[in-house]
Amino acid sequence: MTKRQTRLFFIVGTLVFAGIFVGLTVDSHRQFGRLTNADLITADVSAGKDVWHDNNCINCHTLLGEGAYYAPDLTKITQHRGVPYLTAFLEDPSRFYSEEQYRRLMPNPELTDREIEQVLAFLDWVSRIDNQGWPPRPILVTGSRFAGVEAGARTADAASDEPVALGQTLFSQSPATCSACHSTAPGVQLAGPSLAGIGTRVATLLAEGGYGGSATTAEGYLREAIVQPSAHLVPGETFSAEGRSFMPDNYSQLLTDEQVDHLVDYLLTLR
Amino acid sequence: MRYRSQRIAYAYFAVALFLYGLQLAFGMLSAAKYLGPDPLIDILPFDVTKAIHTNLLIVWVLTGFMGAAYYVVPEESRTEIYSPRLAYWQLGIWTVNGVVAVVGYMFGWTEGNKLLEQPVPVKITIVIVMLMFLYNIFRTMMKGGRWTTTENVLVAGLGLAALLYLPALLQFHNYTVSIFYRWWTIHLWVEGVWEMVQAGLLAYLLIRLSGADREMLEKWLYVIVGLVFIAGIIGTAHHYYWVGVPQYWLPLGGIFSARVQLALFAMAMWAYFAMRRSGFSHPNKLAIHWTVGSAIYTAFGAGLLGLAHTWPSVNKWTHGTLITPMHGHSAFFGAYVMVVLAVVTYAMPHLTRDGDEGRESTLGYWAFWLQAAGMLGMTMAFATAGIAQTYLERIMGLGYLETQLKIQVHFLMLIGAATVFSVGAACFIWDFFRQRPIELFGGPGPEVDADRPAPEAVLT
Repeated sequence: MTKRQTRLFFIVGTLVFAGIFVGLTVDSHRQFGRLTNADLITADVSAGKDVWHDNNCINCHTLLGEGAYYAPDLTKITQHRGVPYLTAFLEDPSRFYSEEQYRRLMPNPELTDREIEQVLAFLDWVSRIDNQGWPPRPILVTGSRFAGVEAGARTADAASDEPVALGQTLFSQSPATCSACHSTAPGVQLAGPSLAGIGTRVATLLAEGGYGGSATTAEGYLREAIVQPSAHLVPGETFSAEGRSFMPDNYSQLLTDEQVDHLVDYLLTLR
Repeated sequence: MRYRSQRIAYAYFAVALFLYGLQLAFGMLSAAKYLGPDPLIDILPFDVTKAIHTNLLIVWVLTGFMGAAYYVVPEESRTEIYSPRLAYWQLGIWTVNGVVAVVGYMFGWTEGNKLLEQPVPVKITIVIVMLMFLYNIFRTMMKGGRWTTTENVLVAGLGLAALLYLPALLQFHNYTVSIFYRWWTIHLWVEGVWEMVQAGLLAYLLIRLSGADREMLEKWLYVIVGLVFIAGIIGTAHHYYWVGVPQYWLPLGGIFSARVQLALFAMAMWAYFAMRRSGFSHPNKLAIHWTVGSAIYTAFGAGLLGLAHTWPSVNKWTHGTLITPMHGHSAFFGAYVMVVLAVVTYAMPHLTRDGDEGRESTLGYWAFWLQAAGMLGMTMAFATAGIAQTYLERIMGLGYLETQLKIQVHFLMLIGAATVFSVGAACFIWDFFRQRPIELFGGPGPEVDADRPAPEAVLT
């Protein structure tokens, strides 16, 4: 090869591949709207994006797996934690995590109520982006799927058509991902209370009084707890505020009646 | 030094090395925060120290590149720099702009966009300074009229770097679209046009240090840069994983990232064979260390360690873990830090009063080996931390916070290795500043001797 030929290789090679790249870019633009649900980018989502940037969030957190690696990934956070919880968290992160225990803490971002609302709208929009199903398993902020919870059930099919098996799979599968906030190990409190022994504890609760909801049976209680989380509040300032549970209240839309039944069947087995 | 105006490079190198030291201080501070608890949480939290750490890197490497261009272009074009005054003004504005940006970050003046945090006025100033630089260099090349391949590649790389900074000025409504174009700047810089600059500088150094045939080296320079672009442009795809873009970017990212290896491996072979064929007889042994070191470390850090996590089925699990800084640290060090330090080491004897190319500096060798070893240690610390994180957090489903507690020991290792690295860098910086530079302003330079033949002609 002569120098002229290698120069030609460089110029033609670069131009050809740059051309392909530009072509793919044009095609990507045709798909961005659909993949990102661009029609759901409201004024709040847009303003929330500015809150995200102005507070330099990306230099600790990752979003869609991009950013710094010093704080948890937030891609699906609004699917793991409800808006009331996240609002209370952003008002004062130190109420929820101890720096002594975890050796790091989120500084108080000092956002206004409105800014919190906007940034959560933005994060909620991000959580719905079609990104080829990443992450393959839910990334938890804290807690674990080890103790009492089957690791890696996210992509597995239920072992059988048995309602309990279906419920058990649903427990750590999206949608629902109950395991992101509830452990089934005694004493392991994540964002929500531990569900260890819930199948037997409910009967005691109903019998002893102090219960404010309308259920009369254990099945009824668990169903109500899933679809109307605020009907009865488990004591604890990290579980609820102002009479509202931090648990998302949209499971009646996310899950079918049948799926709720399966979850109840599964939870009743926890003793 | 054959041309008086080459001494402009000294001022650029001095600023670059000062910022390098500052970058390491902020890196160390950020690493310490991984151990926590953080007493500075309300004054200088992690997001600030980390942004300053990465921004200083970009600024000082670019400063080094520009200094290198001011040193290389006069020799290649066989003429003085068009306007030394403009070059000094440019450095002044560049430095002030950098200081303003860093201080601004401390007070929360940021755009909060990873690696492109610079607020708009700072970004516009960067563009203006780059244009001043390109104008000055271009006029110099026109004056000389030689247009050697080496200087063409070097300057085209820097010109394209300025051009590719422009997408950073755009604002997008859609977060995914803004990610898409952010990588046009960042990826096409570091895995495209900056590689072009690196290859141009390596070509210059190899011609000078090995005395290898210019025609031969420049012929292969085109092949290397061609391979870099053929793989690197579509290789942008590996930054498009899981961010809401069409599915086809996944296989494209896997295939083209693997092809980058070919380019980087070819670059290492190119440097090695150039040295081997013509011998290691140049008196400036340290410059040979840095030059060959850069080519080899690039193949390892940017090449191999990049490949380690760019295959989509692997990246699905490692995306957003400490595996990424593993690759990031060694890639930037090998490709850009080492090549700038190579040019500085090569040029120093020509920029100092008792310039002696055969100067044996023990401190210089310590600087080389401690930095190379320290960076290897840091890379391993990030790698072990990242592997443990991927396994515990992504596969087993342990919470993020609990996982970070379990990998504390790797952060200790990181700080240990970073200390070794910083001592090495301190040796380099001290060795630089303890040599008295030639008179920087006025007066004739020490050896204005335009009739002297070019150094390569002496050696071949």
